Amino acid sequence: MAGLIEQERYTCAIGALQTVVAIPRAVPILHSGPGCGTMIKGFFERSSGYAGGDTSPCTNFSEREVVFGGTDRLRSIIKNTYKVLDTDLQVVVTGCTAGIVGDDVASVTDEFLDEGKPIVHVETSGFKSSNYVSHSAVVNAIIEQYVSRFEHENPPRSEKNLVNLFASVPYQDQFWKGNLREFKRLLEGLGFRVNILFGPHSGGVKEWQTIPRANFNVLVSPWYGEPIVKNLKRRYGQPYFKFSYLPIGGNETTRFLEELLDYARKHHAELDWKRARTFITEEENAYYEELDNLATFLLEFRYGLPNHVHIFHDAGYVAGLTRFLLHETGIVPKEQFVVDNTPEKYKAQVEADIKAASDQREIPVYIDPDAGALQDILRGIRHSGKGLIIGSGWDKELAEEKDCDFLSIACPTPYRIVLTTNYIGYTGGLRVIEDIYNNALAQYQ
Amino acid sequence: MALRQIAIYGKGGIGKSTTTQNLTAGLVERGNHVMVVGCDPKADSTRLLLGGLAQKTVLDTLRESGDDIDLKDILKEGYRGTKCVESGGPEPGVGCAGRGIITSIGLLERLGAYTDDLDYVFYDVLGDVVCGGFAMPIREGKAKEIYIVASGEMMALYAANNISKGIARYARQGGVRLGGIICNSRNVDREVELVRAFAKELGTQMIHFVPRDNEVQRAEIRKKTVIEYKPDCGQADEYRALAKKIEQNEQFVIPTPISQERLEEILVEYGLFDSVEDNYHI
Repeated sequence: MAGLIEQERYTCAIGALQTVVAIPRAVPILHSGPGCGTMIKGFFERSSGYAGGDTSPCTNFSEREVVFGGTDRLRSIIKNTYKVLDTDLQVVVTGCTAGIVGDDVASVTDEFLDEGKPIVHVETSGFKSSNYVSHSAVVNAIIEQYVSRFEHENPPRSEKNLVNLFASVPYQDQFWKGNLREFKRLLEGLGFRVNILFGPHSGGVKEWQTIPRANFNVLVSPWYGEPIVKNLKRRYGQPYFKFSYLPIGGNETTRFLEELLDYARKHHAELDWKRARTFITEEENAYYEELDNLATFLLEFRYGLPNHVHIFHDAGYVAGLTRFLLHETGIVPKEQFVVDNTPEKYKAQVEADIKAASDQREIPVYIDPDAGALQDILRGIRHSGKGLIIGSGWDKELAEEKDCDFLSIACPTPYRIVLTTNYIGYTGGLRVIEDIYNNALAQYQ
Repeated sequence: MALRQIAIYGKGGIGKSTTTQNLTAGLVERGNHVMVVGCDPKADSTRLLLGGLAQKTVLDTLRESGDDIDLKDILKEGYRGTKCVESGGPEPGVGCAGRGIITSIGLLERLGAYTDDLDYVFYDVLGDVVCGGFAMPIREGKAKEIYIVASGEMMALYAANNISKGIARYARQGGVRLGGIICNSRNVDREVELVRAFAKELGTQMIHFVPRDNEVQRAEIRKKTVIEYKPDCGQADEYRALAKKIEQNEQFVIPTPISQERLEEILVEYGLFDSVEDNYHI
């Protein structure tokens, strides 16, 4: 039965306009009410990018557009966008009202296509889905309506060592920029060429055009983003390697890279396998040197450090962090809370992935978009020793109530600025360690 | 007399607009002040009262002039001072006509169209209650009385039954009631008995049987109601009789819609077709 939920940690489908903002020099054009863009801008901090936030053109769909249809207004907004913004890709995203009224958006964008404009449209009516889901819809729309125009120059699977990587939902994952940069560095270290498609370390629309050339795709996600790689499989015959949580720290990053190398070998990539192996070793060495240093600190500093953790986040982060914290810092994962509105068919796998972090202890897993209800569950649970709550800004008060340490890593995030930090990989693991223990030390008197 | 707001529903093409305007002429003759609000994007609900499609619709005016509208821009006086408004709608295939109706009626209220001297307001609504917008006239605070125009044809009765479902829904929340079924004859065999029996099933009455008469078509060609075109003819008297019955009507009910099976049984009973097998509609 439908009911009210509290503290939704994501947005409605039109939140995927941030997927467009994350592409260098791309602009989302909102065919929606005036509040939609403001809502998205408010939910994601520091989300303006090149032409997002207050810059994004919007048709301000109002009663007039509802009654008479909004296509005329959309046409004029697009025309004016070309006059004032210098962009490489325009993506029209639609809000609820345009979807209900049934505006024929494609017929408008087609007019600009005829003029050779790089324009794409995608339905992101809020009632359709969350932004976790519509992120894939936006990417697939760009593939189908834009990338497809460059297929003759980019034969499918023509580059053995090129991969497309899909990991973070930009802005929903506030570490997306850093994470993608680090994924790129790691995969290039193995000898791959990598399309990360989003952020300043990607090659913008030129890079998007080469998507078909990739030998295979890499999906680092429990469920969101999977429709993209499935689409690419259908479209270009590209198989995909799936790693269902974020690889954080030494164990999981090495596992990720080694499994990826195995996969690449099976799919006839032509890498310098020995050099790739050396790269992993070098990265591990740098990582473990710091873990040694951490061990010294942990031995000497005995008071008030967290010994157990609860995480409120999406499935990829919860599974990645629980593994890392348990095995590489000794912080024991207790009840874990997945708040990404995981689709029914993925729930069992998500739960299994989190529970698999330990073969010694049972990790209770709660999967529910109602984060308010999940907080209430945690309110009623006590464990001995200092706790740590990792979640969004909304969990800060709960941490205070429970006298737990708190680390903000998820949306909404009013208590932390994240610019280029990464949480994935070896360096990401070290950064998580820094953040957790800096918090603890900051309270030391 | 307190203002009576009345909505007229019925299958498309059944004669809602014709009946409403002739009925209005009958009421006006009896000294009533009447406003007719056309709630159909085709905007042809007031043609006979105004002597042509002279009216600019509310939505066309809104589109061209924005919100800054005077009542006189959209409300025209027709036959014997009848006030006529056409809601209008977007171009076919775009926008949301239902929302257009809501916008129009809201605007009429804001502009003060519902003056104290009015005895009746009629809402002439497009054939089917396809969405919330077309139910606007029967939602709270608007029409409290509904008449369904039907004939002895199966699809007309089917539509009437369907409309009754909508009325029953809104009746539970607000005060809307069904005042009866106006039979606009199609010369179907045993039509009077059939429609009367159907009305009884719905818990209502057949308030009047309007016979088929080509005077109606002759008057329409001349952009007039029958009462204006040929006041002495028999058909004019039929509309006068309908007007009187509606004026005096006290039977307002929450309809009890029937099942498709029951509707077919009634049709078989009255010999409209010999058996369900002969019914080409199914």
